[in-house]
Amino acid sequence: MCGIIGYVGFRNAREILLEGLKRLDYRGYDSAGVGLISDKLIVYKEVGEIKKLEEQVPAINTTAGIGHTRWATHGGVTKANAHPHTDCKKKIAVVHNGIIENFKELRDELISRGHKFTSDTDTEVVAHLVEEAYDGCLEKAVSSAIKRLKGSYALAFVSKDEPDKIVAARKESPLVIGVGDNEYFVASDIPAFLKYTNRVIYIEDGEKCVLSRKGVKIFDENDKEIEKDINIVDWSIEEAEKAGFPHYMLKEIYEQPRSIADSFRGRIYEKEPHVILNVDVEVPESITIVACGTSFYAGLAGKYMFEEIADIPTKTELSSEYRYLGRKDEAGLVIAISQSGETADTLAAVRGAKKYGCKVMAITNVVGSSLTRIADYTILTRCGPEIGVAATKTFTAQLLMLLMLALDMGLKKGTIEDARVEEYISHIKKLPSYIQYVLNRNEEIKRIAEEIKDKETVFFIGRGINYPLALEGALKLKEISYIHAEGFAAGELKHGPFALLTEETPVVAVVSRDKTYEKMLANIREVKARNSPVVAIADEEDMDVKSYVDEVIRYPATLPIISCIPIAVVLQLLAYHAANLRGCPIDKPRNLAKSVTVE
Amino acid sequence: MIKKAVILAAGEGTRLKPFTENAPKAMIPVANKPVLEYVVNALVKSGIHNIVIVIGYKKESILEYFGDGNRFGAEIEYVTQKEQVGTAHALLQAEEYMGEDGFLVLPGDNIIDEKGIIPLIKEKHEMVLLVKKHSQPSKYGVVEIEEGVVKNIMEKPVEAKSNIVSTGIYKLDKKIWGILHDCAKKGIYDLTNVIQEAIGRGHILKAVENEGKWMDIVYPWDLIHVNAKILQEISYSTAGKIEENVVIKGKVCIGEDTVIRSGCYIVGPVVIGKNCEIGPNVCIFPSTSIGDNVTVNPFTEIKNSILMEGVSIGSNSLILSSVIGKGCFIGTHFSTISGGSILKIGDEYTEVENIGAFVGDGTVIKSNVVLRPATRIGVECEIEVGNVVGGDIRSRCKVV
Repeated sequence: MCGIIGYVGFRNAREILLEGLKRLDYRGYDSAGVGLISDKLIVYKEVGEIKKLEEQVPAINTTAGIGHTRWATHGGVTKANAHPHTDCKKKIAVVHNGIIENFKELRDELISRGHKFTSDTDTEVVAHLVEEAYDGCLEKAVSSAIKRLKGSYALAFVSKDEPDKIVAARKESPLVIGVGDNEYFVASDIPAFLKYTNRVIYIEDGEKCVLSRKGVKIFDENDKEIEKDINIVDWSIEEAEKAGFPHYMLKEIYEQPRSIADSFRGRIYEKEPHVILNVDVEVPESITIVACGTSFYAGLAGKYMFEEIADIPTKTELSSEYRYLGRKDEAGLVIAISQSGETADTLAAVRGAKKYGCKVMAITNVVGSSLTRIADYTILTRCGPEIGVAATKTFTAQLLMLLMLALDMGLKKGTIEDARVEEYISHIKKLPSYIQYVLNRNEEIKRIAEEIKDKETVFFIGRGINYPLALEGALKLKEISYIHAEGFAAGELKHGPFALLTEETPVVAVVSRDKTYEKMLANIREVKARNSPVVAIADEEDMDVKSYVDEVIRYPATLPIISCIPIAVVLQLLAYHAANLRGCPIDKPRNLAKSVTVE
Repeated sequence: MIKKAVILAAGEGTRLKPFTENAPKAMIPVANKPVLEYVVNALVKSGIHNIVIVIGYKKESILEYFGDGNRFGAEIEYVTQKEQVGTAHALLQAEEYMGEDGFLVLPGDNIIDEKGIIPLIKEKHEMVLLVKKHSQPSKYGVVEIEEGVVKNIMEKPVEAKSNIVSTGIYKLDKKIWGILHDCAKKGIYDLTNVIQEAIGRGHILKAVENEGKWMDIVYPWDLIHVNAKILQEISYSTAGKIEENVVIKGKVCIGEDTVIRSGCYIVGPVVIGKNCEIGPNVCIFPSTSIGDNVTVNPFTEIKNSILMEGVSIGSNSLILSSVIGKGCFIGTHFSTISGGSILKIGDEYTEVENIGAFVGDGTVIKSNVVLRPATRIGVECEIEVGNVVGGDIRSRCKVV
């Protein structure tokens, strides 16, 4: 997904375009650019957040231009590939959201006619096609150029020779026009200009429009001018972005069946016992995982996966500690996990490791982030932008990426049989349904959240791979509901924390029917002996657990390592409802920021 | 000119169980798109972009799929009907969003297209009902019309006085709000009854005949027919990886990252979603929809059926005229039998023909299971090895 914007009017175009791009950054933010037009065409592009672009663009006073924010799904995040793209003479600039399917043939054809290309993008062909067709009238040139295009697009163009005009066209990608007084906007989505006008025209497939300070003209696919209605939008920017959900966090929890499917899409096939991660990494002697917060807990779960599946000694370290103290093993692989790829502590830890010659692999959600540029290998979680401060869909995707990497290494090392890998793959492919199973129990989880919402302290316990989940469950609860929550390895309770248990301390026990099962039930009995209420999170076929506990939340029966993903969703919903029932500002918890870019 | 519409999508659709156990009726997939998406698309193509969807039962599935509507070229807002007491009550929830303007009201669980809606918008009169001729009118609201004006609407009459039925799609204006409030006070929560009341008070409701599509899905087996009809309109497009020696005939649509393995034989119309694995040596015959992330193992035949997202089918299976819900896991040598049956739904008896099985979301069927014609299995059931099953199995049951 990408976002485009265009403005022509009387205000400072630089401000409007940058502001609009920030509003569109939910559509992507790995690189961005603007093309400003006055007596000349000036293009600025930058890799990274829109803030970085803002620092680059000087305060020039022009009143027309176009802008773009990009979210590449397959590599290629470079300054050259950022939009806008220009023609050979740097007269025409274009921004594009969509995919030009026949760009290779068009590109070859244009090169054979002497055009010089400066990027690897599909979009650049459009600029050159318009250049060829241009004879002083931009809309005519655009009209003939887009006839050559196959694929999907929302496009916006400016030309140096017609400085007060923007031409835009749409096919299968969103495009709307904002109608102001003597000023006009065109964008991928309304929030980009909603601050300035709430009057909009919806552009449909095949239509083109010409914006100038005098007005907007719209043409159908046969270049016949048509009249279109102006619609009034009467909602706020914030409402629009959450799309009906009360919080981003809940929206992102519910996106998980889809986001997890996107994470494994094209990477595994049931009939092919291997994992396609497109990273050419050798099996290391040891692994060190470095991360912070929720990503750290994913890393702790990763330790179990690498040791169990690939028999590789693994330690998981907090970035902020490792950078100063951790032993840097140059024969080992360092795996850095960060949703944003900008976490300052993790970046510092990785730089430290690189100094000692360690190879570094990044697991992140953001293409082109600082982490991916430092790392030797990158695996993307492909969740789409995550806005809620409490990480949800990126946590489950991180777990899955670690598992797939462990399977890959286990296969290469010969520690896991093909048949076992096939079994894992068939279960991974069921993950969207497993997550849906948990979402279908939302009301039940909400009811149980009622019971913990007024407690001062909640404990989470688990064994094996469920121990990091207990830590994550506690972190989710404390960060958004402000209830004091602690996660413990179930066996550790009797070594101290028991002293804190009272009738008023609910204990959430994550239970799996693996080799830890009997011990876990024994731990629950110990807790019950102190009269603390116990909520078990157990699989649907576990009939014994019911008699030991007060409440059971079910997750689908599957392989123990796979089950950590649906269990994580249970913990997310539990924390969400507890916080919501307490009236907490879930998307903006006090004192917290989404990505921590200071050390 | 009409610019706004209200879609009523709060209802559960109990007669469609088990498929409405985890999602509202409007989200049931037909040709891999939820029914509600056809309604939204029809509105957008008619030039209506401001859409309010009334949600209630299992609302999150609608929110997650449609978001702010940007992906569909619409601006969608949502209001929640806390209890699903009736369609008039549902419409009232959207009052503040409509304000002074005229608007359309549409059920979210009937498939329609823009050919029906555009004439409704163009009709100059401010209150209009879209009607349709139907061969079995007494199943619907039967409409009596005199000189283009609706005189009477009778819900499911014993004896139908005409062969014209209401589509439940209206153009209305602000006058309706007062009547809705009055009726609510009297305990009338159903929109047909409110409209009847409006007619009684002397308001003129014109009738426009629907020239386009209108398909209602009431029972699970209706899904099979409606799916087959909608699939007639797909066009050929393939993505993903199609191995050598695959035969594809007719209109077939294959999604990204899907793999069709060698030896498969596919006869359209067939739509296959993203990230599926089909084959090797699987036969898929006309009028079949296969959702995203589906696996079909070797030597299986599928015909005239719907497999929803995340389904996995074992080898050597036969699936005929059946609907398999999301995330079902089906073992090897599974068979459905297509045939006729007489079914009881609530107090009604219905006769059906050429119908296979209906399996709810997340059900696990072990190997060598046979399902008799018109078997209905609930969600998250488990059927053990070698069973022959018929009739109705309630949700979360185990058949040993």
